[in-house]
Amino acid sequence: MDLATIGGLIAGVFFIVAAILQDKGNLADFGQLASVMITFGGTFSATLISFPLADFINSVKSVTLIFRNKQLNEGEIIRKIIELSNIARKEGLLALEEAAESIDDEFMKKGILLIVDGTDPELVRNILETEIIFVEGRHKYVQGFWNKVGEYGPAWGMIGTLIGLIKMLQNMNDPSTIGPSMSVALLTTLYGSVLANFLALPIANKMKVISEAEILLKEVAIEGLLSIQAGENPRVIEEKLKAFLAPRLRDEISEDDAQEGENNA
Amino acid sequence: MIYVTKLNDEEVVVNCDLIEVIEETPNTIITLTTGKKIIAKESSKEIIEKIIRYKTYLSKRLREGHDNG
Repeated sequence: MDLATIGGLIAGVFFIVAAILQDKGNLADFGQLASVMITFGGTFSATLISFPLADFINSVKSVTLIFRNKQLNEGEIIRKIIELSNIARKEGLLALEEAAESIDDEFMKKGILLIVDGTDPELVRNILETEIIFVEGRHKYVQGFWNKVGEYGPAWGMIGTLIGLIKMLQNMNDPSTIGPSMSVALLTTLYGSVLANFLALPIANKMKVISEAEILLKEVAIEGLLSIQAGENPRVIEEKLKAFLAPRLRDEISEDDAQEGENNA
Repeated sequence: MIYVTKLNDEEVVVNCDLIEVIEETPNTIITLTTGKKIIAKESSKEIIEKIIRYKTYLSKRLREGHDNG
Protein backbone atom coordinates (compact mmCIF):
# COMPACT_ATOMS: atom_id res chain seq x y z
CA MET A 1 0.00 0.00 0.00
CA ASP A 2 1.25 3.46 -0.81
CA LEU A 3 1.13 5.47 2.41
CA ALA A 4 1.42 8.81 0.62
CA THR A 5 -1.82 8.30 -1.31
CA ILE A 6 -3.78 7.09 1.70
CA GLY A 7 -2.31 9.71 4.01
CA GLY A 8 -3.07 12.43 1.49
CA LEU A 9 -6.66 11.31 1.06
CA ILE A 10 -7.31 11.10 4.80
CA ALA A 11 -5.57 14.39 5.53
CA GLY A 12 -7.40 16.12 2.67
CA VAL A 13 -10.82 14.96 3.87
CA PHE A 14 -9.90 15.92 7.42
CA PHE A 15 -8.85 19.44 6.47
CA ILE A 16 -11.92 20.04 4.32
CA VAL A 17 -14.28 18.79 7.04
CA ALA A 18 -12.40 20.68 9.76
CA ALA A 19 -12.53 23.89 7.74
CA ILE A 20 -16.27 23.48 7.21
CA LEU A 21 -16.92 22.83 10.90
CA GLN A 22 -15.03 25.98 11.95
CA ASP A 23 -17.21 28.86 13.19
CA LYS A 24 -20.36 26.82 13.75
CA GLY A 25 -20.40 25.44 10.23
CA ASN A 26 -22.79 22.62 9.51
CA LEU A 27 -21.60 19.66 7.50
CA ALA A 28 -25.14 18.91 6.35
CA ASP A 29 -25.29 22.26 4.55
CA PHE A 30 -22.51 21.05 2.31
CA GLY A 31 -24.17 17.82 1.30
CA GLN A 32 -26.50 18.23 -1.64
CA LEU A 33 -27.42 15.20 -3.68
CA ALA A 34 -28.36 17.28 -6.71
CA SER A 35 -24.98 19.04 -6.68
CA VAL A 36 -23.11 15.78 -6.38
CA MET A 37 -25.13 14.37 -9.24
CA ILE A 38 -24.44 17.22 -11.58
CA THR A 39 -20.69 17.54 -10.92
CA PHE A 40 -19.69 13.90 -10.67
CA GLY A 41 -22.33 12.61 -13.09
CA GLY A 42 -21.70 15.42 -15.53
CA THR A 43 -17.92 15.08 -15.42
CA PHE A 44 -17.96 11.36 -16.00
CA SER A 45 -20.55 11.65 -18.78
CA ALA A 46 -18.30 14.17 -20.47
CA THR A 47 -15.28 11.86 -20.19
CA LEU A 48 -17.45 9.03 -21.48
CA ILE A 49 -18.05 11.13 -24.58
CA SER A 50 -14.31 11.88 -24.83
CA PHE A 51 -13.02 8.29 -24.65
CA PRO A 52 -14.00 4.92 -26.13
CA LEU A 53 -15.85 2.72 -23.63
CA ALA A 54 -13.09 0.13 -23.18
CA ASP A 55 -10.52 2.85 -22.48
CA PHE A 56 -12.93 4.57 -20.10
CA ILE A 57 -13.44 1.41 -18.03
CA ASN A 58 -9.74 0.59 -18.13
CA SER A 59 -8.76 4.09 -17.02
CA VAL A 60 -11.26 4.18 -14.16
CA LYS A 61 -10.02 0.80 -12.98
CA SER A 62 -6.43 2.01 -13.12
CA VAL A 63 -7.11 4.19 -10.11
CA THR A 64 -6.17 1.24 -7.89
CA LEU A 65 -2.59 1.61 -9.15
CA ILE A 66 -2.00 4.70 -7.08
CA PHE A 67 -2.61 2.76 -3.88
CA ARG A 68 -0.11 0.11 -4.77
CA ASN A 69 3.51 0.40 -3.85
CA LYS A 70 5.81 -0.36 -6.71
CA GLN A 71 6.96 -3.93 -6.52
CA LEU A 72 10.57 -3.71 -7.59
CA ASN A 73 13.02 -1.02 -6.71
CA GLU A 74 16.12 -0.05 -8.62
CA GLY A 75 18.47 -1.77 -6.19
CA GLU A 76 16.68 -5.06 -6.58
CA ILE A 77 16.80 -4.89 -10.36
CA ILE A 78 20.51 -4.12 -10.32
CA ARG A 79 21.21 -6.94 -7.89
CA LYS A 80 19.23 -9.32 -10.08
CA ILE A 81 21.20 -8.27 -13.15
CA ILE A 82 24.52 -8.72 -11.37
CA GLU A 83 23.38 -12.17 -10.28
CA LEU A 84 22.51 -13.00 -13.88
CA SER A 85 25.79 -11.64 -15.17
CA ASN A 86 27.65 -13.85 -12.71
CA ILE A 87 25.79 -16.87 -14.06
CA ALA A 88 26.54 -15.81 -17.63
CA ARG A 89 30.23 -15.38 -16.82
CA LYS A 90 30.50 -18.78 -15.21
CA GLU A 91 28.26 -20.96 -17.33
CA GLY A 92 27.66 -19.01 -20.51
CA LEU A 93 24.63 -17.22 -21.88
CA LEU A 94 22.65 -20.39 -22.43
CA ALA A 95 22.57 -21.00 -18.68
CA LEU A 96 20.47 -17.86 -18.35
CA GLU A 97 17.46 -19.68 -19.74
CA GLU A 98 17.13 -21.61 -16.51
CA ALA A 99 17.70 -18.51 -14.41
CA ALA A 100 15.01 -16.66 -16.34
CA GLU A 101 12.36 -19.01 -15.02
CA SER A 102 12.76 -17.62 -11.51
CA ILE A 103 12.23 -14.03 -12.63
CA ASP A 104 8.68 -12.72 -12.45
CA ASP A 105 9.40 -9.47 -14.25
CA GLU A 106 7.98 -10.09 -17.73
CA PHE A 107 10.15 -7.46 -19.33
CA MET A 108 13.43 -8.89 -18.01
CA LYS A 109 12.31 -12.38 -18.87
CA LYS A 110 11.60 -11.38 -22.44
CA GLY A 111 15.01 -9.75 -22.71
CA ILE A 112 16.81 -12.79 -21.36
CA LEU A 113 14.96 -15.15 -23.67
CA LEU A 114 15.88 -12.94 -26.63
CA ILE A 115 19.53 -13.08 -25.58
CA VAL A 116 19.44 -16.83 -25.12
CA ASP A 117 17.89 -17.20 -28.56
CA GLY A 118 20.98 -15.56 -29.99
CA THR A 119 19.31 -12.35 -31.12
CA ASP A 120 21.68 -9.60 -32.20
CA PRO A 121 22.35 -7.06 -29.45
CA GLU A 122 21.05 -4.26 -31.63
CA LEU A 123 17.82 -6.10 -32.25
CA VAL A 124 17.40 -6.89 -28.55
CA ARG A 125 17.74 -3.21 -27.76
CA ASN A 126 15.28 -2.30 -30.50
CA ILE A 127 12.65 -4.77 -29.36
CA LEU A 128 12.88 -3.79 -25.70
CA GLU A 129 12.96 -0.08 -26.44
CA THR A 130 9.89 -0.38 -28.62
CA GLU A 131 8.14 -2.07 -25.74
CA ILE A 132 9.09 0.81 -23.44
CA ILE A 133 7.76 3.36 -25.91
CA PHE A 134 4.41 1.64 -26.04
CA VAL A 135 4.19 1.12 -22.29
CA GLU A 136 4.90 4.81 -21.89
CA GLY A 137 2.23 5.62 -24.46
CA ARG A 138 -0.37 3.55 -22.63
CA HIS A 139 0.54 5.18 -19.32
CA LYS A 140 0.28 8.64 -20.88
CA TYR A 141 -3.17 7.76 -22.20
CA VAL A 142 -4.46 6.88 -18.73
CA GLN A 143 -2.86 10.01 -17.28
CA GLY A 144 -4.58 11.95 -20.04
CA PHE A 145 -7.89 10.47 -18.94
CA TRP A 146 -7.51 11.74 -15.39
CA ASN A 147 -6.25 15.09 -16.61
CA LYS A 148 -9.42 15.36 -18.68
CA VAL A 149 -11.53 14.54 -15.60
CA GLY A 150 -9.63 17.33 -13.86
CA GLU A 151 -10.50 19.70 -16.68
CA TYR A 152 -14.17 18.80 -16.85
CA GLY A 153 -14.73 18.87 -13.06
CA PRO A 154 -14.60 22.64 -12.52
CA ALA A 155 -16.46 23.24 -15.78
CA TRP A 156 -19.32 21.01 -14.65
CA GLY A 157 -19.25 22.73 -11.27
CA MET A 158 -19.81 25.95 -13.15
CA ILE A 159 -22.67 24.43 -15.14
CA GLY A 160 -24.31 23.29 -11.91
CA THR A 161 -23.96 26.76 -10.45
CA LEU A 162 -25.56 28.26 -13.55
CA ILE A 163 -28.49 25.84 -13.30
CA GLY A 164 -28.90 26.73 -9.63
CA LEU A 165 -28.80 30.46 -10.37
CA ILE A 166 -31.34 30.17 -13.19
CA LYS A 167 -33.71 28.25 -10.90
CA MET A 168 -33.17 30.86 -8.20
CA LEU A 169 -33.84 33.78 -10.51
CA GLN A 170 -37.11 32.21 -11.63
CA ASN A 171 -38.36 32.06 -8.05
CA MET A 172 -37.42 35.51 -6.80
CA ASN A 173 -40.79 36.25 -5.18
CA ASP A 174 -39.41 35.70 -1.71
CA PRO A 175 -36.16 37.67 -1.27
CA SER A 176 -35.30 35.78 1.90
CA THR A 177 -34.67 32.60 -0.16
CA ILE A 178 -32.00 34.27 -2.33
CA GLY A 179 -29.16 33.68 0.12
CA PRO A 180 -29.78 29.95 0.72
CA SER A 181 -30.45 29.14 -2.93
CA MET A 182 -27.36 31.07 -3.97
CA SER A 183 -25.24 29.08 -1.53
CA VAL A 184 -26.69 25.81 -2.78
CA ALA A 185 -25.91 26.87 -6.35
CA LEU A 186 -22.32 27.61 -5.42
CA LEU A 187 -21.90 24.15 -3.92
CA THR A 188 -21.48 22.61 -7.35
CA THR A 189 -18.52 24.88 -8.09
CA LEU A 190 -16.98 23.69 -4.84
CA TYR A 191 -17.59 20.04 -5.72
CA GLY A 192 -16.16 20.57 -9.18
CA SER A 193 -12.97 22.13 -7.82
CA VAL A 194 -12.58 19.45 -5.18
CA LEU A 195 -13.11 16.70 -7.74
CA ALA A 196 -10.45 18.22 -9.97
CA ASN A 197 -7.85 19.35 -7.47
CA PHE A 198 -8.26 16.79 -4.73
CA LEU A 199 -8.86 13.70 -6.87
CA ALA A 200 -8.39 13.81 -10.62
CA LEU A 201 -5.24 15.90 -11.00
CA PRO A 202 -3.38 14.33 -8.05
CA ILE A 203 -4.31 10.88 -9.37
CA ALA A 204 -2.93 11.81 -12.79
CA ASN A 205 0.26 13.11 -11.23
CA LYS A 206 0.80 10.04 -9.05
CA MET A 207 0.37 7.89 -12.12
CA LYS A 208 2.94 9.98 -13.94
CA VAL A 209 5.43 9.53 -11.11
CA ILE A 210 4.83 5.78 -10.95
CA SER A 211 5.13 5.50 -14.71
CA GLU A 212 8.43 7.39 -14.78
CA ALA A 213 9.87 5.14 -12.09
CA GLU A 214 8.79 2.07 -14.02
CA ILE A 215 10.30 3.33 -17.27
CA LEU A 216 13.57 4.08 -15.51
CA LEU A 217 13.63 0.52 -14.16
CA LYS A 218 13.08 -0.84 -17.63
CA GLU A 219 15.88 1.32 -19.01
CA VAL A 220 18.20 0.03 -16.29
CA ALA A 221 17.14 -3.50 -17.21
CA ILE A 222 17.87 -2.96 -20.93
CA GLU A 223 21.31 -1.55 -20.22
CA GLY A 224 22.04 -4.43 -17.85
CA LEU A 225 20.84 -7.14 -20.19
CA LEU A 226 22.88 -5.78 -23.07
CA SER A 227 25.95 -5.63 -20.85
CA ILE A 228 25.40 -9.25 -19.87
CA GLN A 229 25.13 -10.17 -23.53
CA ALA A 230 28.35 -8.29 -24.25
CA GLY A 231 30.01 -10.38 -21.55
CA GLU A 232 31.03 -7.46 -19.40
CA ASN A 233 32.45 -7.95 -15.95
CA PRO A 234 29.75 -7.98 -13.20
CA ARG A 235 31.62 -5.24 -11.31
CA VAL A 236 31.68 -3.03 -14.38
CA ILE A 237 27.98 -3.67 -14.98
CA GLU A 238 27.21 -2.65 -11.43
CA GLU A 239 29.08 0.63 -11.79
CA LYS A 240 27.41 1.27 -15.13
CA LEU A 241 23.91 0.71 -13.78
CA LYS A 242 24.53 2.76 -10.67
CA ALA A 243 24.87 5.77 -12.94
CA PHE A 244 21.09 5.60 -13.32
CA LEU A 245 20.51 6.01 -9.62
CA ALA A 246 20.52 8.91 -7.20
CA PRO A 247 23.63 8.94 -4.95
CA ARG A 248 21.56 7.90 -1.91
CA LEU A 249 20.45 4.68 -3.64
CA ARG A 250 23.97 3.98 -4.91
CA ASP A 251 25.26 3.96 -1.35
CA GLU A 252 22.50 1.58 -0.30
CA ILE A 253 23.55 -0.92 -2.94
CA SER A 254 27.22 -0.67 -2.03
CA GLU A 255 26.37 -1.24 1.63
CA ASP A 256 24.32 -4.29 0.77
CA ASP A 257 27.20 -5.62 -1.28
CA ALA A 258 29.60 -5.07 1.59
CA GLN A 259 27.28 -6.96 3.91
CA GLU A 260 26.93 -9.80 1.47
CA GLY A 261 30.69 -9.92 1.12
CA GLU A 262 31.08 -10.18 4.88
CA ASN A 263 28.47 -12.91 5.08
CA ASN A 264 30.20 -14.88 2.39
CA ALA A 265 33.55 -14.47 4.09
CA MET B 1 35.21 -14.91 -44.77
CA ILE B 2 34.52 -17.61 -42.19
CA TYR B 3 31.46 -19.48 -41.07
CA VAL B 4 30.46 -19.07 -37.42
CA THR B 5 27.46 -20.51 -35.58
CA LYS B 6 25.32 -18.15 -33.55
CA LEU B 7 23.64 -19.23 -30.30
CA ASN B 8 20.43 -20.12 -32.14
CA ASP B 9 22.43 -22.51 -34.38
CA GLU B 10 22.17 -20.14 -37.30
CA GLU B 11 25.28 -20.06 -39.46
CA VAL B 12 26.54 -16.72 -40.63
CA VAL B 13 29.54 -15.73 -42.67
CA VAL B 14 31.79 -13.18 -41.04
CA ASN B 15 34.30 -11.01 -42.81
CA CYS B 16 37.35 -12.04 -40.81
CA ASP B 17 39.30 -8.98 -41.96
CA LEU B 18 36.97 -6.84 -39.83
CA ILE B 19 37.49 -8.72 -36.59
CA GLU B 20 38.87 -6.45 -33.91
CA VAL B 21 38.55 -8.49 -30.73
CA ILE B 22 37.52 -12.02 -29.84
CA GLU B 23 36.58 -12.48 -26.20
CA GLU B 24 35.51 -15.57 -24.30
CA THR B 25 33.16 -14.56 -21.51
CA PRO B 26 32.74 -17.74 -21.65
CA ASN B 27 30.58 -17.22 -24.74
CA THR B 28 32.69 -16.18 -27.65
CA ILE B 29 31.99 -12.60 -28.56
CA ILE B 30 33.43 -11.35 -31.81
CA THR B 31 33.62 -7.58 -31.98
CA LEU B 32 34.00 -6.14 -35.45
CA THR B 33 35.69 -2.86 -36.25
CA THR B 34 32.23 -1.55 -37.08
CA GLY B 35 31.24 -2.02 -33.42
CA LYS B 36 28.91 -4.88 -34.23
CA LYS B 37 29.10 -7.86 -31.94
CA ILE B 38 28.48 -11.46 -32.90
CA ILE B 39 28.05 -14.14 -30.28
CA ALA B 40 29.37 -17.44 -31.54
CA LYS B 41 29.28 -21.02 -30.32
CA GLU B 42 32.81 -21.78 -31.49
CA SER B 43 35.70 -21.12 -29.15
CA SER B 44 38.17 -18.38 -30.02
CA LYS B 45 40.74 -21.08 -30.90
CA GLU B 46 38.39 -22.63 -33.43
CA ILE B 47 37.70 -19.25 -34.94
CA ILE B 48 41.39 -18.46 -35.28
CA GLU B 49 41.86 -21.90 -36.85
CA LYS B 50 39.12 -21.08 -39.34
CA ILE B 51 40.72 -17.75 -40.19
CA ILE B 52 44.11 -19.41 -40.77
CA ARG B 53 42.51 -22.05 -42.95
CA TYR B 54 40.68 -19.40 -44.94
CA LYS B 55 43.78 -17.26 -45.44
CA THR B 56 45.85 -20.27 -46.46
CA TYR B 57 43.17 -21.26 -48.93
CA LEU B 58 43.05 -17.72 -50.22
CA SER B 59 46.77 -17.40 -50.81
CA LYS B 60 46.83 -20.82 -52.44
CA ARG B 61 44.10 -19.76 -54.83
CA LEU B 62 45.98 -16.55 -55.59
CA ARG B 63 49.18 -18.44 -56.38
CA GLU B 64 47.29 -20.88 -58.59
CA GLY B 65 45.78 -17.94 -60.39
CA HIS B 66 49.24 -16.53 -61.04
CA ASP B 67 50.51 -19.88 -62.31
CA ASN B 68 47.60 -20.29 -64.72
CA GLY B 69 47.65 -16.74 -65.99
